[in-house]
This record gives sequence, structure tokens and C-alpha cells, in this order.
Amino acid sequence: MKIISSIITLLLVSININAQDSLAKKEDVEEIKGALQSVTETVIDLKNTLDALKKIKISGYIQAQFQSADTAGINSYSGGNFPVNVKSRFQVRRGRVKFMYDQDITQYVLQIDVTQNGVGIKDAYATIKEPWLQTFSFTAGVFDRPFGFEISYSSNMREAPERSRLFQTLFPGERELGVKIEAAPERGVLSFLNLKAGLFNGVLPNANENDRNKDFIGRVGFLLPFRDENFEIDGGFSLYTGNVTNTSKYFYEFNGSSPIKNFKVDSSTTNAGKGFAREYYAFDTQLYYDLPIIGGLSIKGEYITGIQPATKSYNSFYYPSTTDPNPSLYQRNFNGWYINYTQNIGLSHQFVLKYDVFDPNSNVKGNDIGLPGSNLLASDIKYSTLGVGWVYHWDSNIKFLVYYDSVNNEHVNSAATGSLAKYTRDLKDNVLTARMQYRF
Amino acid sequence: MKTVIIIIMMALTFGFMMPTETITMKGSDTMVILAQRWAEVYMSKNKNFTIQVTGGGSGTGISALINGTTDICNSSRPMKRAEMDKLKQRYNTLGVEIKVAIDGLALYVNETNPVSELTLDQVKRIYQGKITNWKDIGGADSKIILYSRENNSGTYVYFKDNVLEGEDFSPSAQNMPGTAAVVNAVSKDKNSIGYGGEAYGKGIKFIKIKKDEKSPAYIPSAEYVKSGDYPISRYLYLYLRSKPTGEIKKFIDWMLSKEGQEIVTKVGYSPVK
Repeated sequence: MKIISSIITLLLVSININAQDSLAKKEDVEEIKGALQSVTETVIDLKNTLDALKKIKISGYIQAQFQSADTAGINSYSGGNFPVNVKSRFQVRRGRVKFMYDQDITQYVLQIDVTQNGVGIKDAYATIKEPWLQTFSFTAGVFDRPFGFEISYSSNMREAPERSRLFQTLFPGERELGVKIEAAPERGVLSFLNLKAGLFNGVLPNANENDRNKDFIGRVGFLLPFRDENFEIDGGFSLYTGNVTNTSKYFYEFNGSSPIKNFKVDSSTTNAGKGFAREYYAFDTQLYYDLPIIGGLSIKGEYITGIQPATKSYNSFYYPSTTDPNPSLYQRNFNGWYINYTQNIGLSHQFVLKYDVFDPNSNVKGNDIGLPGSNLLASDIKYSTLGVGWVYHWDSNIKFLVYYDSVNNEHVNSAATGSLAKYTRDLKDNVLTARMQYRF
Repeated sequence: MKTVIIIIMMALTFGFMMPTETITMKGSDTMVILAQRWAEVYMSKNKNFTIQVTGGGSGTGISALINGTTDICNSSRPMKRAEMDKLKQRYNTLGVEIKVAIDGLALYVNETNPVSELTLDQVKRIYQGKITNWKDIGGADSKIILYSRENNSGTYVYFKDNVLEGEDFSPSAQNMPGTAAVVNAVSKDKNSIGYGGEAYGKGIKFIKIKKDEKSPAYIPSAEYVKSGDYPISRYLYLYLRSKPTGEIKKFIDWMLSKEGQEIVTKVGYSPVK
């Protein structure tokens, strides 16, 4: 009896323990469920935060370089003039950081440039893409001028270290303030065409406006791929048409009737405040071909001609400054071109050859400049530059570049005197550039 | 004599140490199973040859091709103009596109879901968030749970372009990192719907798709995909920087051979040849 009673007691205790265990397990499961729910909520919250952060894209690159010039203190288009007494230098040529907030159909872009000279804004614009045809977009702010090929070709991808003298002269800083529309159908019969066109402030180097005129810049482009042949031809026609306002009464233009080529002056008082044409016309072409076994090659070229309103000593463009608020306006016909050959050798190496020419005054030859009785100046001299270089892509972030610019100026008349006399021969202004670029 | 022996020993040592040729394939998650199967079979026949296959999405694969970190990109969508431009800028080539298979983009629902067919327009409106309850399309009175892919996926891009006709996904759609994750989620959630490659459709129910109310409905079987009856099918591509040469060419030729295309069928896609 004692044994039975003990067994019953044990069973009751056991049942009680089991019941308690069962209750404990149920509580544990509930607790785990709660914890899991909490983790799930946290993960969803983190995912939502991460999805929002993914819309912010940060990229950039830095170009650190060493340059050696033929002569100290030369004027140069290979990264800017060399200071007096300086023949070689280290530079941070570009130090870009680009922030993009990408909402698929809308984008905000801010790009700054940090170098040894300080911090500058390169891009600050917003773009809206239409969602229906996915063909048109509208952009407003500061951005690349939609003209030709080289301006909008990113300097971190460009094979030669600098843009041609032609573009540096006509479009200093490459960017402008304005609005543009872009049409680039991804599919359909018109997918080989693209269009960019916009209205911009005009002339000043800081991209601000000095008059009521707005300038039109546009490009119609085409892409003709021949995939079976591994070949493509791209190209386009570009137009810049605008006016600049003369703040002085002096207007100089080429005097075609004089036996000695020079500028003739019109000093009518009505010239002050009057708009003078700034017009550029350009064709550009790019050929791509995948050379079997060796690698891809490209041949890119552009030709530009037009009318440039500038100043006496400055052929870039006309603008009044605080030091010279009323400069005389010099109207010149100009032309220029470049051709760039790049050959990829395997995956890591590229050979580059480039030749560019800029003639700021196509009405005159070198021999006309410096003639007694002529008022032509150094800003009328034609330049050509032969560049040869080698690019080594260390990995997807880093590339090294060695490039040599051989610069040739047109020789002016041997009778030239004063500041023009040095141009009777070729200046010693060639530049060697060794650059490392890190891109992320 | 001693020198000769040393040279022979070194030659033998380096001979044995000769690295096997390695080809990397990266990109589309939809194509991972297919590429892995190709790689396994090809490596078993070519011992001194290593093929590394990774996923990550078509966009990731194309970026890797542009950055030079993969030899072959697997992509379930055609390369975009902007991506070709990047290839042109870096390599001066347009890229080489090779179609290797056809995939019917499958719509999956849970096995217990009574809905068995949908029109393309219904699918579009479901993923836009305009149809939110299964009862509106012949199912139970339950909220529709949407599973989608992340935007680096070629499947996502294809679905957005061809089913949503470029319009946005409903904000409630949950983005999953791969097709297998979509299938897994749908198999566990009786009110959910997801999309992905047909080869991943094991263990869950395919929805039959019809072009419109009057059209017949088809499942994404190889037969209907190849005939074009199944309305949402796409090519699967390989992309290279340049025309293939050497071992890569041999491997690609084999993928397009009868043996390689039989593997396409076995995996669950439709062959291109």
C-alpha cells in the first residue's frame, strides 16, 4: 500500500511537472515568436532605411599629377599656366566628388571639385525624365553645355589628360547655367537618334549673365552600330547661337579690303549696349572598332567653325570684368579641329595619339601677324598640339597615364617687334604629364 | 650535369604548378543554375579548365564586365545604351551579345491558392497595387502580398518594362535578393504572388498567363515559351567585352552546341538552337 501510494504521489508530481513543462514551453514559444516578430520588424525598418539610402549615390575621382615643362612660366593648356620660375610641378588636377539622389524619374546631382586652389562647383542640377515614353528629359541648373562630343566626355574617362585647346578656349569650364531638354529613345526606329537642346546665360566665366540675351546650344546626334562587324559610327551636328552685349562703343572686325590684313574699328556710340553674334557650328564623329586579338580602337574627331566676339588680347570670349568693365569688342572668324586615336591593348593598356588645331582668326596667316601697319596680336596666332600617351589601368579604380604634349605656334612675320617678336619661332612650351587617377 | 638536373627539376616543378585556365561568369541570378550546370559538365571534360560562376543580378554582372572583374556576364536582359556607352569609353568596344537560352517569366502563387490564370493586364494591375485582394480575381477574400526583385536584377527590369510597361511597382511590393528567395517566400505565404525564371518554379504553382480575356492561357513550359504562345518570355544572354577567342570561344561554342543546349532544356529553359 505504501508502495502504491508512493507511485501515485510520484505520478502526480510527474504530471504536475509535465504540465508545468508544457506551460513553460508554450511560454517559451510565445517569447520566441515575440522576439522573432521584433527582429522581423527591425529588419523591415532597416530595409526601408537602406532602400532610401540606396537612392543616394556617391562617386568621385582624384587626379594627382607631376608635370615638367620645356621652359619655366609658360602659358599652357595642359592643366593651366605654369607660375613664373616654375618649370615642374605637382598638382591635384581634379578632385571630384559627385552626389546623386536617384529617384528613377527624377535626379538631383551636385558635383564639387576640390584641388589645391580651393573648392568649386562643377555640377548642380536636377533632371526630370518623363515616365511614359522614357525618351524625354528636362534638366535645369549648372551642367555640361550640350555641344559636340568632348565637352560632355567625362575627364575621368578621357584618354588625353586635357580637352583640346579649341574647347578650353571656346567653352572654359565646360559648364553653363540654363535649362535643356534631351530626347534619347532607347527603342524603336528612332533609337539611333538623340537630341539635346537648351537655353543658357551666355558668356561670363563664372557662368553668370551680363545681358538680356539667352544663348541657344544644341546637338543632334546619331549612333550607327554594325554589331556583326564589331563597328560603330557615332556623330552629330552642334549649333551655338547667341549674342554678347558690347559694353564699349568700340567694335573691331576683320578688314578684308586692306592690303595689310588688320582689324578696322567702328566707334559709333550706338555700339555700346548692342548685341554682337556668337555663333559656332560643329561636326563630330567617333568610330569604334574591335580589332581582333589586340583590342578595341576608337578614332574621334570634331571640327568647329564660327564667329567669336572676344577682346583684343583674349580670344576666348567677350566679357567685361571689374578690372576692365568696358573692353573693346573684337569679332573674329575662327576654326579648329582635333583627331584622337586610342588603341586598347589587352584589358589594361591603351595607346593614345591626339592632334588638335585652333586658329582663332581664320582670316589671317602667321606672316600677316607682326607686319608693320597691322594691329593683329598674339591672340590671332594659330596653334597645333600633338599629344602622345600611354594609359595603364591598374584595376577598376586606379589608372596611370604618361602623356607628352608637343605644342606648336604659327610663326609670325619676322619683322614683328615687342611682345610679338618671340612668336617668330616655335616657343619652348611642350609639357610632359605623369598622372595617377583614383576613381570610386 | 648538375645544372641540367636543376633545370629539369625546375621545369618539372613549374610544369606541375602550371595554373589551370580560369574563366569567370557573373551576373543574372536567373541564369546561375544554368551556368553552374554548364560549368560542371564542361570542367568534367576539360580538366585544366576552371569556370567560376557567381550571381548577383544582371546589373551587377554588366558592371563587373565594364570594370574588368569578370570575363563573361550572364544577363537576363539586353544591355542598356548607357551601359554600352561605358564599355565604349573604357574598351572602345560595343560588347558582344550572345543569346544562349529563352526563359518564360513565370508568375508563382502558393500551391493552396485557387487562382490559376491571369491576364497580362491583371498581373500589371496587381503589381501596380490597383488590384489588392484575391477575391477581385477569383480567389479568397485576402490581401495580395507582392514579392518582387531588387532593381539590379534583369528579371526586375524585364518585368517592369514588359509587364508594367515602364510604370512603377506598388510601394508595398517586397524586394527579394534572388528568385530562389521569391519562390521560398511564396511557398510559405498562401496569399502571395511572385515572379521569376521558370527554372526556379519547383514546388510552387505556376499561374497560367493569357494576353487578354479572349486569349488562351499558357503555363511557361518550354514548348509554349519557344512557340511564343506564352506571352512573357525573354532571351538569356552572355555578354563579353570583345569577340571571344581561345578557351572562352571554345566554351561558348560548346554552350551553343547540341550538348550545351540539351543542358538548357534539362535545367528548365528553352534552347535557342
